[in-house]
Amino acid sequence: MSRKPPRGEYIETDTGNKVARKATLVGTQNIMLGGKTVIQQEVMIRGDLIRSLPSSSSSGGGPPSNTAVAIGRYCFLSRGCCLKPPGRLYKGVFTYMPLRMGDHVFVGQNTVVQAAQIGSHVNIGAQVVVGEFAIIKDFVRILDGSVVPANMVIPSFSIVAGQPAKVIGEVPEGGHDAFELRDLYKSVGNNPQPAPS
Amino acid sequence: MAAPSSSSKRHSILPAVSQAGPKPPIQFSSSLVIADSAILTGPHTITIRSESVIHPRARLESTAGRINIGRRCIVHERTHIGLVPSSSSSSSRNGKSSLVSKGSGLGVLGEAGEAPVSPSVLIGAVTLGDYVTVEVAVTIEGGETLIGDGTIVGVGSKIGAGATVGKHCTLTPHSVVAPGEVIPDFTVIYSNGARRKDRRGVVDLRNKGQARQIEVLRRMIPSNPAKFQ
Repeated sequence: MSRKPPRGEYIETDTGNKVARKATLVGTQNIMLGGKTVIQQEVMIRGDLIRSLPSSSSSGGGPPSNTAVAIGRYCFLSRGCCLKPPGRLYKGVFTYMPLRMGDHVFVGQNTVVQAAQIGSHVNIGAQVVVGEFAIIKDFVRILDGSVVPANMVIPSFSIVAGQPAKVIGEVPEGGHDAFELRDLYKSVGNNPQPAPS
Repeated sequence: MAAPSSSSKRHSILPAVSQAGPKPPIQFSSSLVIADSAILTGPHTITIRSESVIHPRARLESTAGRINIGRRCIVHERTHIGLVPSSSSSSSRNGKSSLVSKGSGLGVLGEAGEAPVSPSVLIGAVTLGDYVTVEVAVTIEGGETLIGDGTIVGVGSKIGAGATVGKHCTLTPHSVVAPGEVIPDFTVIYSNGARRKDRRGVVDLRNKGQARQIEVLRRMIPSNPAKFQ
Protein backbone atom coordinates (compact mmCIF):
# COMPACT_ATOMS: atom_id res chain seq x y z
CA MET A 1 0.00 0.00 0.00
CA SER A 2 1.21 3.43 -0.81
CA ARG A 3 1.50 5.41 2.32
CA LYS A 4 0.61 9.03 2.15
CA PRO A 5 2.70 11.52 4.07
CA PRO A 6 1.92 11.50 7.79
CA ARG A 7 -1.56 12.67 8.51
CA GLY A 8 -1.84 16.05 10.04
CA GLU A 9 -4.08 17.03 12.86
CA TYR A 10 -6.41 18.86 10.51
CA ILE A 11 -8.13 18.06 7.27
CA GLU A 12 -7.67 21.01 4.95
CA THR A 13 -10.25 21.34 2.21
CA ASP A 14 -9.91 23.04 -1.16
CA THR A 15 -11.84 26.04 0.08
CA GLY A 16 -9.42 26.46 2.96
CA ASN A 17 -11.45 25.00 5.77
CA LYS A 18 -9.37 23.40 8.47
CA VAL A 19 -11.35 20.71 10.23
CA ALA A 20 -9.72 18.82 13.09
CA ARG A 21 -9.85 15.06 12.74
CA LYS A 22 -11.14 14.85 16.27
CA ALA A 23 -14.11 17.10 15.63
CA THR A 24 -17.56 15.50 15.71
CA LEU A 25 -19.68 16.66 12.83
CA VAL A 26 -23.05 14.93 12.73
CA GLY A 27 -25.04 15.18 9.51
CA THR A 28 -22.21 16.64 7.43
CA GLN A 29 -24.40 16.96 4.36
CA ASN A 30 -26.44 19.65 6.12
CA ILE A 31 -23.48 21.72 7.31
CA MET A 32 -22.32 24.53 5.03
CA LEU A 33 -18.86 25.94 5.54
CA GLY A 34 -18.13 29.17 3.72
CA GLY A 35 -14.41 28.52 3.50
CA LYS A 36 -11.32 29.40 5.57
CA THR A 37 -13.12 28.23 8.66
CA VAL A 38 -11.23 26.52 11.47
CA ILE A 39 -12.93 23.74 13.42
CA GLN A 40 -10.80 22.54 16.32
CA GLN A 41 -10.78 19.25 18.19
CA GLU A 42 -13.83 18.07 20.09
CA VAL A 43 -16.09 20.57 18.41
CA MET A 44 -19.56 19.19 17.85
CA ILE A 45 -21.90 20.44 15.13
CA ARG A 46 -25.37 18.95 14.89
CA GLY A 47 -26.20 19.00 11.21
CA ASP A 48 -28.70 16.20 11.58
CA LEU A 49 -31.26 18.42 13.26
CA ILE A 50 -32.82 19.83 10.12
CA ARG A 51 -35.99 21.79 9.61
CA SER A 52 -38.92 19.44 9.63
CA LEU A 53 -41.40 21.95 8.24
CA PRO A 54 -41.07 23.17 4.67
CA SER A 55 -39.95 26.78 4.77
CA SER A 56 -42.70 29.19 3.84
CA SER A 57 -40.47 31.68 2.07
CA SER A 58 -39.13 29.34 -0.62
CA SER A 59 -42.47 28.62 -2.18
CA GLY A 60 -41.28 28.99 -5.76
CA GLY A 61 -40.00 25.61 -6.87
CA GLY A 62 -36.50 24.34 -6.34
CA PRO A 63 -35.44 21.69 -3.90
CA PRO A 64 -35.96 22.58 -0.25
CA SER A 65 -32.73 23.53 1.41
CA ASN A 66 -31.86 21.20 4.20
CA THR A 67 -29.09 23.30 5.64
CA ALA A 68 -29.05 22.97 9.39
CA VAL A 69 -25.90 24.95 10.15
CA ALA A 70 -24.46 27.59 7.80
CA ILE A 71 -21.09 29.10 8.63
CA GLY A 72 -19.44 31.99 6.79
CA ARG A 73 -15.77 32.65 6.06
CA TYR A 74 -12.95 32.96 8.56
CA CYS A 75 -14.91 31.57 11.45
CA PHE A 76 -13.02 29.99 14.31
CA LEU A 77 -14.64 27.29 16.43
CA SER A 78 -12.47 26.63 19.47
CA ARG A 79 -11.96 23.32 21.14
CA GLY A 80 -14.98 21.75 22.80
CA CYS A 81 -17.64 24.11 21.54
CA CYS A 82 -20.99 22.88 20.29
CA LEU A 83 -23.21 24.32 17.57
CA LYS A 84 -26.78 23.13 17.57
CA PRO A 85 -29.76 24.41 15.59
CA PRO A 86 -32.55 25.81 17.76
CA GLY A 87 -35.87 24.02 17.88
CA ARG A 88 -39.37 24.98 18.95
CA LEU A 89 -43.03 24.34 18.39
CA TYR A 90 -44.28 26.19 15.34
CA LYS A 91 -47.94 25.92 14.31
CA GLY A 92 -48.32 22.90 16.55
CA VAL A 93 -45.38 21.03 15.06
CA PHE A 94 -41.94 20.82 16.58
CA THR A 95 -39.28 21.94 14.15
CA TYR A 96 -35.64 22.84 14.19
CA MET A 97 -34.59 26.04 12.46
CA PRO A 98 -31.26 26.61 10.72
CA LEU A 99 -28.40 28.23 12.61
CA ARG A 100 -26.77 30.89 10.46
CA MET A 101 -23.41 32.38 11.21
CA GLY A 102 -21.72 35.23 9.35
CA ASP A 103 -18.02 35.81 8.69
CA HIS A 104 -15.23 36.28 11.21
CA VAL A 105 -17.12 34.70 14.08
CA PHE A 106 -15.00 33.45 16.96
CA VAL A 107 -16.52 30.87 19.30
CA GLY A 108 -14.63 30.20 22.54
CA GLN A 109 -13.88 26.92 24.27
CA ASN A 110 -16.74 24.79 25.62
CA THR A 111 -19.34 27.26 24.42
CA VAL A 112 -22.77 26.00 23.41
CA VAL A 113 -24.48 27.99 20.65
CA GLN A 114 -28.14 27.49 19.82
CA ALA A 115 -28.71 30.88 18.23
CA ALA A 116 -30.90 31.43 15.19
CA GLN A 117 -28.58 33.97 13.65
CA ILE A 118 -25.14 35.32 14.34
CA GLY A 119 -23.89 38.28 12.32
CA SER A 120 -20.37 38.96 11.13
CA HIS A 121 -17.40 39.94 13.29
CA VAL A 122 -18.79 38.45 16.46
CA ASN A 123 -16.58 37.32 19.31
CA ILE A 124 -18.12 34.79 21.68
CA GLY A 125 -16.00 33.94 24.71
CA ALA A 126 -15.36 30.66 26.48
CA GLN A 127 -17.97 28.79 28.57
CA VAL A 128 -20.77 30.86 27.07
CA VAL A 129 -24.27 29.55 26.49
CA VAL A 130 -26.17 31.21 23.68
CA GLY A 131 -29.81 30.30 24.13
CA GLU A 132 -32.22 29.11 21.53
CA PHE A 133 -33.32 31.58 18.85
CA ALA A 134 -31.03 34.34 20.05
CA ILE A 135 -30.11 36.79 17.31
CA ILE A 136 -26.69 38.38 17.47
CA LYS A 137 -25.99 41.26 15.12
CA ASP A 138 -22.61 42.35 13.73
CA PHE A 139 -19.60 43.46 15.80
CA VAL A 140 -20.75 42.01 19.10
CA ARG A 141 -18.46 40.81 21.85
CA ILE A 142 -19.80 38.28 24.38
CA LEU A 143 -17.55 37.89 27.40
CA ASP A 144 -16.55 34.58 28.99
CA GLY A 145 -19.12 32.71 31.05
CA SER A 146 -22.14 34.67 29.83
CA VAL A 147 -25.53 33.05 29.47
CA VAL A 148 -27.44 34.66 26.63
CA PRO A 149 -31.11 33.90 27.26
CA ALA A 150 -33.32 32.36 24.63
CA ASN A 151 -34.83 34.74 22.06
CA MET A 152 -32.52 37.62 23.04
CA VAL A 153 -31.62 40.06 20.28
CA ILE A 154 -28.22 41.67 20.73
CA PRO A 155 -27.77 44.89 18.74
CA SER A 156 -24.64 45.70 16.79
CA PHE A 157 -21.51 47.02 18.52
CA SER A 158 -22.59 45.72 21.94
CA ILE A 159 -20.47 44.17 24.63
CA VAL A 160 -22.49 41.61 26.54
CA ALA A 161 -21.84 39.76 29.79
CA GLY A 162 -23.50 38.19 32.82
CA GLN A 163 -25.95 35.48 33.75
CA PRO A 164 -28.39 36.29 32.21
CA ALA A 165 -26.44 38.34 29.69
CA LYS A 166 -27.02 42.07 29.49
CA VAL A 167 -25.51 44.75 27.31
CA ILE A 168 -22.77 46.26 29.46
CA GLY A 169 -21.02 48.46 26.96
CA GLU A 170 -20.23 49.39 23.43
CA VAL A 171 -17.41 48.37 21.16
CA PRO A 172 -15.19 51.45 21.05
CA GLU A 173 -14.53 53.41 17.89
CA GLY A 174 -11.55 51.92 16.11
CA GLY A 175 -11.85 48.64 17.98
CA HIS A 176 -13.23 46.85 14.97
CA ASP A 177 -9.92 45.42 13.76
CA ALA A 178 -9.84 43.17 16.83
CA PHE A 179 -12.61 41.08 15.29
CA GLU A 180 -10.49 40.16 12.24
CA LEU A 181 -9.70 36.46 12.31
CA ARG A 182 -7.45 36.16 9.26
CA ASP A 183 -4.27 35.99 11.32
CA LEU A 184 -5.78 33.50 13.71
CA TYR A 185 -6.75 31.34 10.75
CA LYS A 186 -3.16 31.22 9.58
CA SER A 187 -1.84 30.30 13.01
CA VAL A 188 -3.52 26.89 13.12
CA GLY A 189 -3.57 23.91 10.82
CA ASN A 190 -1.03 21.40 9.67
CA ASN A 191 1.54 24.06 8.76
CA PRO A 192 0.82 26.76 11.28
CA GLN A 193 2.45 30.10 10.73
CA PRO A 194 3.36 32.25 13.67
CA ALA A 195 1.13 35.23 14.12
CA PRO A 196 2.80 38.41 12.92
CA SER A 197 3.70 40.54 15.86
CA MET B 1 -14.84 -3.62 14.61
CA ALA B 2 -12.74 -3.80 11.48
CA ALA B 3 -15.64 -3.07 9.22
CA PRO B 4 -14.84 -2.85 5.53
CA SER B 5 -15.02 0.78 4.60
CA SER B 6 -18.39 1.15 3.02
CA SER B 7 -17.88 4.86 2.64
CA SER B 8 -14.39 5.16 1.33
CA LYS B 9 -13.97 8.83 2.15
CA ARG B 10 -13.59 10.79 5.32
CA HIS B 11 -13.29 8.23 8.01
CA SER B 12 -11.91 10.75 10.27
CA ILE B 13 -14.88 13.05 10.49
CA LEU B 14 -16.52 10.90 13.13
CA PRO B 15 -13.75 9.59 15.33
CA ALA B 16 -14.21 6.21 16.87
CA VAL B 17 -16.09 6.33 20.11
CA SER B 18 -13.86 5.26 22.94
CA GLN B 19 -15.68 2.28 24.35
CA ALA B 20 -13.58 1.84 27.45
CA GLY B 21 -14.52 -0.70 30.05
CA PRO B 22 -17.13 -3.40 30.00
CA LYS B 23 -20.42 -3.22 28.15
CA PRO B 24 -23.14 -2.74 30.72
CA PRO B 25 -26.20 -4.97 30.80
CA ILE B 26 -29.16 -3.05 29.44
CA GLN B 27 -32.91 -3.03 29.68
CA PHE B 28 -34.17 -1.10 26.69
CA SER B 29 -37.70 -0.36 25.72
CA SER B 30 -38.38 -1.17 22.08
CA SER B 31 -39.61 2.34 21.36
CA LEU B 32 -36.58 4.33 22.46
CA VAL B 33 -34.18 6.21 20.21
CA ILE B 34 -30.52 5.87 21.01
CA ALA B 35 -27.87 7.26 18.72
CA ASP B 36 -25.11 5.06 17.47
CA SER B 37 -22.40 7.17 19.06
CA ALA B 38 -23.88 7.29 22.54
CA ILE B 39 -21.49 5.85 25.09
CA LEU B 40 -22.66 3.32 27.65
CA THR B 41 -20.14 1.98 30.15
CA GLY B 42 -20.04 0.38 33.56
CA PRO B 43 -20.87 -2.93 35.21
CA HIS B 44 -24.44 -2.22 36.32
CA THR B 45 -27.71 -2.29 34.44
CA ILE B 46 -28.83 0.71 32.43
CA THR B 47 -32.59 0.89 32.05
CA ILE B 48 -34.17 3.21 29.52
CA ARG B 49 -37.93 3.25 29.28
CA SER B 50 -40.23 3.91 26.36
CA GLU B 51 -39.89 6.78 23.89
CA SER B 52 -36.81 8.32 25.46
CA VAL B 53 -34.17 9.84 23.20
CA ILE B 54 -30.43 9.59 23.76
CA HIS B 55 -28.49 11.97 21.52
CA PRO B 56 -25.09 11.18 20.00
CA ARG B 57 -22.12 11.30 22.35
CA ALA B 58 -24.16 11.20 25.52
CA ARG B 59 -22.27 9.19 28.10
CA LEU B 60 -24.10 6.96 30.56
CA GLU B 61 -21.81 5.43 33.12
CA SER B 62 -23.11 2.84 35.57
CA THR B 63 -19.94 2.43 37.63
CA ALA B 64 -21.64 3.68 40.78
CA GLY B 65 -24.81 1.64 40.30
CA ARG B 66 -27.84 1.29 38.09
CA ILE B 67 -29.00 4.03 35.81
CA ASN B 68 -32.74 4.35 35.31
CA ILE B 69 -34.15 6.68 32.70
CA GLY B 70 -37.90 7.15 32.60
CA ARG B 71 -40.36 7.62 29.78
CA ARG B 72 -40.02 10.35 27.17
CA CYS B 73 -36.77 11.73 28.46
CA ILE B 74 -34.38 13.59 26.18
CA VAL B 75 -30.70 13.25 27.00
CA HIS B 76 -28.70 15.65 24.87
CA GLU B 77 -25.19 15.29 23.51
CA ARG B 78 -22.11 15.45 25.71
CA THR B 79 -23.97 14.80 28.90
CA HIS B 80 -22.27 12.62 31.45
CA ILE B 81 -24.72 10.72 33.61
CA GLY B 82 -23.46 8.61 36.46
CA LEU B 83 -20.06 10.23 36.80
CA VAL B 84 -18.26 8.86 39.84
CA PRO B 85 -17.74 11.77 42.21
CA SER B 86 -14.10 12.59 42.74
CA SER B 87 -14.35 12.82 46.51
CA SER B 88 -16.49 10.17 48.14
CA SER B 89 -19.26 12.25 49.66
CA SER B 90 -20.50 10.89 52.94
CA SER B 91 -23.31 13.40 52.97
CA SER B 92 -25.22 11.41 50.40
CA ARG B 93 -25.55 8.55 52.86
CA ASN B 94 -28.05 10.55 54.88
CA GLY B 95 -31.70 10.30 54.07
CA LYS B 96 -31.27 6.92 52.49
CA SER B 97 -34.47 5.50 53.83
CA SER B 98 -36.58 8.08 52.07
CA LEU B 99 -34.78 7.37 48.82
CA VAL B 100 -35.40 3.66 49.07
CA SER B 101 -39.10 4.16 49.02
CA LYS B 102 -38.88 6.46 46.02
CA GLY B 103 -36.56 4.34 43.97
CA SER B 104 -37.88 0.95 44.87
CA GLY B 105 -40.33 0.84 42.01
CA LEU B 106 -37.50 0.62 39.54
CA GLY B 107 -34.69 -0.72 41.59
CA VAL B 108 -35.63 -3.96 43.21
CA LEU B 109 -36.26 -6.01 40.10
CA GLY B 110 -33.68 -8.71 39.50
CA GLU B 111 -30.02 -8.94 40.39
CA ALA B 112 -30.43 -11.44 43.22
CA GLY B 113 -27.20 -13.24 42.51
CA GLU B 114 -24.98 -10.21 42.75
CA ALA B 115 -22.73 -10.63 45.75
CA PRO B 116 -22.47 -7.39 47.70
CA VAL B 117 -25.78 -5.70 47.00
CA SER B 118 -25.43 -2.24 48.40
CA PRO B 119 -28.56 -0.12 48.56
CA SER B 120 -27.14 2.27 46.01
CA VAL B 121 -27.03 -0.52 43.46
CA LEU B 122 -30.64 -1.42 44.03
CA ILE B 123 -31.94 2.12 43.96
CA GLY B 124 -29.79 3.13 41.09
CA ALA B 125 -26.94 5.56 40.98
CA VAL B 126 -28.96 7.93 38.87
CA THR B 127 -32.71 7.88 38.38
CA LEU B 128 -34.45 10.19 35.93
CA GLY B 129 -38.24 10.42 36.10
CA ASP B 130 -40.49 10.83 33.09
CA TYR B 131 -40.33 13.78 30.69
CA VAL B 132 -36.90 14.87 31.92
CA THR B 133 -34.73 16.95 29.60
CA VAL B 134 -31.00 16.83 30.20
CA GLU B 135 -29.36 19.52 28.11
CA VAL B 136 -25.95 19.69 26.43
CA ALA B 137 -22.84 19.12 28.56
CA VAL B 138 -24.64 18.43 31.81
CA THR B 139 -22.86 16.35 34.45
CA ILE B 140 -24.91 14.23 36.84
CA GLU B 141 -22.88 12.45 39.48
CA GLY B 142 -23.82 8.92 40.43
CA GLY B 143 -24.85 7.81 43.92
CA GLU B 144 -28.58 7.80 44.57
CA THR B 145 -29.11 10.89 42.51
CA LEU B 146 -32.75 11.43 41.71
CA ILE B 147 -34.31 13.79 39.20
CA GLY B 148 -38.06 14.14 39.27
CA ASP B 149 -40.58 14.10 36.42
CA GLY B 150 -40.64 16.96 33.96
CA THR B 151 -37.47 18.61 35.15
CA ILE B 152 -35.30 20.51 32.69
CA VAL B 153 -31.59 20.52 33.45
CA GLY B 154 -30.01 23.45 31.60
CA VAL B 155 -26.84 23.51 29.51
CA GLY B 156 -23.66 22.79 31.42
CA SER B 157 -25.27 22.27 34.82
CA LYS B 158 -23.76 20.04 37.46
CA ILE B 159 -25.75 17.86 39.83
CA GLY B 160 -23.87 16.37 42.75
CA ALA B 161 -24.06 12.81 44.01
CA GLY B 162 -27.07 12.01 46.14
CA ALA B 163 -28.95 15.16 45.21
CA THR B 164 -32.71 14.92 44.86
CA VAL B 165 -34.24 17.32 42.38
CA GLY B 166 -38.01 17.48 42.63
CA LYS B 167 -40.62 17.30 39.92
CA HIS B 168 -41.03 19.94 37.22
CA CYS B 169 -37.98 21.94 38.25
CA THR B 170 -36.07 24.16 35.86
CA LEU B 171 -32.31 24.51 36.15
CA THR B 172 -30.96 27.37 34.07
CA PRO B 173 -27.62 26.99 32.24
CA HIS B 174 -24.55 26.51 34.44
CA SER B 175 -26.55 25.79 37.58
CA VAL B 176 -24.91 23.77 40.32
CA VAL B 177 -26.76 21.46 42.71
CA ALA B 178 -24.58 20.41 45.65
CA PRO B 179 -24.18 16.74 46.58
CA GLY B 180 -26.98 15.50 48.81
CA GLU B 181 -29.11 18.60 48.29
CA VAL B 182 -32.89 18.20 48.17
CA ILE B 183 -34.73 20.53 45.81
CA PRO B 184 -38.52 20.74 46.25
CA ASP B 185 -40.93 20.37 43.33
CA PHE B 186 -41.51 23.30 40.96
CA THR B 187 -38.27 25.07 41.82
CA VAL B 188 -36.44 27.30 39.34
CA ILE B 189 -32.72 27.48 39.99
CA TYR B 190 -30.64 30.24 38.47
CA SER B 191 -26.95 29.95 37.83
CA ASN B 192 -26.22 32.76 40.29
CA GLY B 193 -27.81 30.68 43.06
CA ALA B 194 -31.18 32.45 43.20
CA ARG B 195 -34.25 30.27 43.44
CA ARG B 196 -37.97 30.73 43.10
CA LYS B 197 -41.13 28.70 42.72
CA ASP B 198 -42.57 28.00 39.30
CA ARG B 199 -46.25 28.92 39.52
CA ARG B 200 -47.04 29.00 35.82
CA GLY B 201 -48.82 25.67 35.78
CA VAL B 202 -47.58 24.69 32.34
CA VAL B 203 -46.81 21.05 33.11
CA ASP B 204 -49.25 19.61 30.58
CA LEU B 205 -48.14 21.98 27.82
CA ARG B 206 -44.54 21.21 28.49
CA ASN B 207 -45.15 17.48 28.38
CA LYS B 208 -47.02 17.84 25.11
CA GLY B 209 -44.15 19.85 23.65
CA GLN B 210 -41.70 17.21 24.77
CA ALA B 211 -43.77 14.51 23.06
CA ARG B 212 -43.79 16.52 19.82
CA GLN B 213 -40.07 17.06 20.01
CA ILE B 214 -39.50 13.34 20.48
CA GLU B 215 -41.65 12.61 17.42
CA VAL B 216 -39.33 14.78 15.33
CA LEU B 217 -36.12 13.48 16.88
CA ARG B 218 -37.28 9.95 16.22
CA ARG B 219 -37.11 10.68 12.50
CA MET B 220 -33.79 12.53 12.66
CA ILE B 221 -31.61 10.44 14.90
CA PRO B 222 -30.82 7.03 13.49
CA SER B 223 -31.42 4.65 16.36
CA ASN B 224 -29.23 1.65 16.91
CA PRO B 225 -30.15 -0.09 20.15
CA ALA B 226 -28.75 -3.37 18.85
CA LYS B 227 -25.23 -2.02 19.17
CA PHE B 228 -25.49 -1.90 22.93
CA GLN B 229 -26.85 -5.42 23.42
